[in-house]
Amino acid sequence: MDDLLSEFLTETNESLAELDVELVQLEQNPNDQELLGNIFRLMHTIKGTCGFLGLPRLESVAHAGENVLGKVRDGEMEVTPETVTVILESIDQIRSLLEQLEATEAEPEGDDSDLIARLNAFADGGGAPAAAEEAAPAAEAPAETPAEAPAEAAGGDVSLDELEAAFANAKGPEELAAEAAAKETEAAAEAAPAEEAEAAAEPDAEPAPAEPKAEKAAAPAPAKPKAAQEKKAAEPKKEGSVANQSLRVNVDVLENLMTMVSELVLTRNQLLQILRSQSESEFAAPLQRLNHVVSELQEGVMATRMQPIGNAWAKLPRIIRDLAHELDKKIDLVMKGAETELDRQVLELIKDPLTHMVRNSADHGLETPADRLAAGKPEVGSVILNAFHEGGHIIIEISDDGKGLSCEKLKQKCIENGLASEADLETMTEQQIQQFIFKAGFSTAAAVTSVSGRGVGMDVVRTNIEKIGGTIELTSVEGRGTKFVIKIPLTLAIVSALIVECASERFAIPQLSVVELVRASAHTEHTIERINDTPVLRLRNRLLPLVNLRDLLKLGTGEEEAVVEGLIEHDETAASEEEAPAAEAAEAKPAAVDEEEPPAVESKDEEEVFIVVAQIGNYSMGIIVDRVFDTEEIVVKPVAPILRDIQLFSGNTILGDGSVVMILDPNGIAATTGEISVAEGGEDAVKDRHHVSSSDTVAMLVFRAVDDTPKSVPLGLVARLEEIDLARVESSNGQYVVQYRGQLMPLVLMDNGQDLATEGRQPVLVFSDRNRTMGLVVKEIVDIVEDKMNVELSTDRPGYIGTAVIGERATDIIDASYYLTQAFHDWFAADRATTDDESGSRRLLLVDDSPFFRNMLQPLLSASGYDVVCAESADAAMELCDAGEEFDVIISDIEMPGMNGFEFAKKVTTDSRWSETPIVALSAFSNPADLERGRAAGFSDYVAKTDRDALLTTLHDTLSELRGAA
Amino acid sequence: MSSENESGAESSTAGNAFSDAEDFVTFTIAGQLFGIPVLKVQDVLAAYNITRIPLAPPEIAGSLNLRGRIVTAMDVRLRLGLPPKEEKGSMSIVAEHDGELYSLMVDSVGEVLALKADDYERNPPTLDPKFRDYSDGIYRLDGKLLVVLDVNRLLDYDRDQAA
Repeated sequence: MDDLLSEFLTETNESLAELDVELVQLEQNPNDQELLGNIFRLMHTIKGTCGFLGLPRLESVAHAGENVLGKVRDGEMEVTPETVTVILESIDQIRSLLEQLEATEAEPEGDDSDLIARLNAFADGGGAPAAAEEAAPAAEAPAETPAEAPAEAAGGDVSLDELEAAFANAKGPEELAAEAAAKETEAAAEAAPAEEAEAAAEPDAEPAPAEPKAEKAAAPAPAKPKAAQEKKAAEPKKEGSVANQSLRVNVDVLENLMTMVSELVLTRNQLLQILRSQSESEFAAPLQRLNHVVSELQEGVMATRMQPIGNAWAKLPRIIRDLAHELDKKIDLVMKGAETELDRQVLELIKDPLTHMVRNSADHGLETPADRLAAGKPEVGSVILNAFHEGGHIIIEISDDGKGLSCEKLKQKCIENGLASEADLETMTEQQIQQFIFKAGFSTAAAVTSVSGRGVGMDVVRTNIEKIGGTIELTSVEGRGTKFVIKIPLTLAIVSALIVECASERFAIPQLSVVELVRASAHTEHTIERINDTPVLRLRNRLLPLVNLRDLLKLGTGEEEAVVEGLIEHDETAASEEEAPAAEAAEAKPAAVDEEEPPAVESKDEEEVFIVVAQIGNYSMGIIVDRVFDTEEIVVKPVAPILRDIQLFSGNTILGDGSVVMILDPNGIAATTGEISVAEGGEDAVKDRHHVSSSDTVAMLVFRAVDDTPKSVPLGLVARLEEIDLARVESSNGQYVVQYRGQLMPLVLMDNGQDLATEGRQPVLVFSDRNRTMGLVVKEIVDIVEDKMNVELSTDRPGYIGTAVIGERATDIIDASYYLTQAFHDWFAADRATTDDESGSRRLLLVDDSPFFRNMLQPLLSASGYDVVCAESADAAMELCDAGEEFDVIISDIEMPGMNGFEFAKKVTTDSRWSETPIVALSAFSNPADLERGRAAGFSDYVAKTDRDALLTTLHDTLSELRGAA
Repeated sequence: MSSENESGAESSTAGNAFSDAEDFVTFTIAGQLFGIPVLKVQDVLAAYNITRIPLAPPEIAGSLNLRGRIVTAMDVRLRLGLPPKEEKGSMSIVAEHDGELYSLMVDSVGEVLALKADDYERNPPTLDPKFRDYSDGIYRLDGKLLVVLDVNRLLDYDRDQAA
């Protein structure tokens, strides 16, 4: 049934019941103006609501009743029993109509003209006895009997329902119920003849009030069905009506009930915990029973707090409509899953954030109709709200098909507001940059609205959502729209949490964010690998960043707090005992545990640990813990104000065994571990694009040098693999060189500080470009692997581009250019590289004739988030231009065979579709004259080839300018 | 400075002939006698299982479960800037502040004394700032002095930050 309708029914039935009572009171105190006023108001409300809902029949009856009441109120009529009777009659009619409305969800056919005529006559006649007398006797029977009977029935309904439900199997109450039913049947039977007498006049009024009784009577007391049966045949009715099934309860009562149930759940958990430690107990059966009952009770109470999310959306259509008017946009608001239910408390908390986000989408996300048409989109923009359940969570999606987030503008804003440095931003992916809109201080001025397009108060939105244990993720494609996905728990009061242990302390992690558990040890397929001491885990071909809970919580050396720890230790042992029966011996003498524990912990770090894979928004990470216990339902309690500043905890709770544990907040953990990388794990969208445009597998040469982490370099960069005789290595000018093919080849070691051995043979990767060669000395050449090169973790270490999964292992991708410049500081002078890159919103075209540089720059630029397309010559680039390709920026070498860089730039800027596209020159020379010449040719900037940072900065600046101008 | 007023009010009451005595729960920390108005004290606990709270301020010893309520334990020694205690085992006084329960860990809890306002004196200005901060005044007892601990100020971290 329609929510509106059922609410109306509930409300009107309440009003009617009140009217019944008050009218009777009025009859006794005819001069009580206040009472009269209230009666009039109630009737008026009913009339108004009926009119609003389009229920003309009800409205006309109510109207006629109100007329009479109006006369009375205005003092034109006296309050007489006749007056009250006739009004009660109208109320009964309304009630009967309501019942049919409820059964069929439509106003019944029929005509109340007779009743209305009498009411009007009564009103017009000022209560003239003539009219009254005529009406009264006739009315009395149907009016009074049903008036009482329904009242009685209403009472009966409740008690019957409740009794039946509650004492379904108990004998005594059943008899009572039968009795009550029997009584009612009698009432119905009495009513029946009266009704029949009146039937001609009021065909609809009677059957309805009589029916519920009749039916009920039929069920529990089949002995007396006859009297009622004839009436009942007309329309079958559900036993419990909506009106009687809903009950208004103060929210505080519910909250209180919920708290009590939470405590009950806790106590239940404690009992179960005790039970588990006793193999045989006479309490087992009753406790199991208690367990079930409590679970059901918990569910039941939860259900009372559930409300459809549509309630929170009710205001949105209006807001959108107003916004559309104000902004001259055409907006279509689509709301799906409005009936999805969630906890009232949660609902209240997300109401404002939701409204805010929808407003944002409509205001800043969607473009004006003109812009939309220009962009080839339908004129009407849509904002789509979608809510659904998934697991124990509710997912709310808010998406629009507007202009999306502009990365460049976001970056500018970040820099302006000092949230990140330009250099930081350079290394970030689009997704990471988008996360900035959630940063406090991102949008401080109103100007943000027009500049960044979005972001006013998103930090507040996120804070609010995280406060209730939810997460929010954002995906946005510039030009195509933005989508927020909010994931929140169904209820706040009780959450399911995973209990973990770290350094002998237990913690709870809300299940909401736990994706999976991985056991890592040297003997399983999952091993924790380290990059420069940063642990990572290879999980299904992805690198998962790991954080060690022990480090995070600074639990490393907690022994000195022995006073406190000693107290806990005993407790811990008790808890761990179930997990590991072997601990039993230790439990007998808790003192021993203290000494045993630390070494065990240390070795665990190396040998076997558990990794809780948590997902926070788009970001996945692994939390290293020592041990994992089971999951437990916990009641989240806020921490003391003193501890509120600790970001890592979202609350604390009491476990089944009575001990207090802190609840870890995965959002907080993500935040403290550099949440900027929040998008890192989840940039599936970005990845996919990479895969489409530039992810063809690359042959990678895997080798070892310096440490044990495999290193890799694109095979294309390596000219040859050689083994050199170390005895032939000479030293010149502080550099190792070797005579190679008639030339001196400088040798570079990955670890600069190290000396080469003087004898034996050593593998060397020979890099060669033009007529120069250089050798990179490595320890061992491992393999050549064909794989996609997706740099997953960027790094600032010189000589490294980042880390990727190659051949199923975490591998450092080395930056060959770094070593090249170590050998020849002017290596790049002789070179030209043009690369062409394509990255959705940041497509980059690299034009360079040297495959070496194309190979080198492409991974570098990809790692910085550009989508790179390469062209091997200016002519090839022009072909791309003619083919309709679009780029955000072009990087071109200067010296190229055929059309050189200057000519290319001139051609592009003066005479092509790309005239607006900035071109950055890559050159070995950067003297003023060259710069001048470059600018004249149309290059927007000039970069030295060897300087990777400068290249990235320049690209960024160029793109920023472009965006800024757009 | 509501507490200032409070103590001011107290002393003015003290000036009255009534001078009804106030009851204090006494305890010692590092040999010094302290007192807390008895009405502020909810409970006195012996050693209890305490869960450490990582990253918390050092004086926060952890939290414990007192009949289903989570109580934050504070080592008053550390809060007062005294060196940590070496031997194990201590007692706690549970007090409520801002709707939250706190367990104040002290060396030992003594008797309840009824102290006359006549013996009350304000903090000597030369008192250690930490003590002066958390003390509400001094009572002169036979042979020793009792420092009245102001629970509100002791537990009010917001004030700390503001200061």
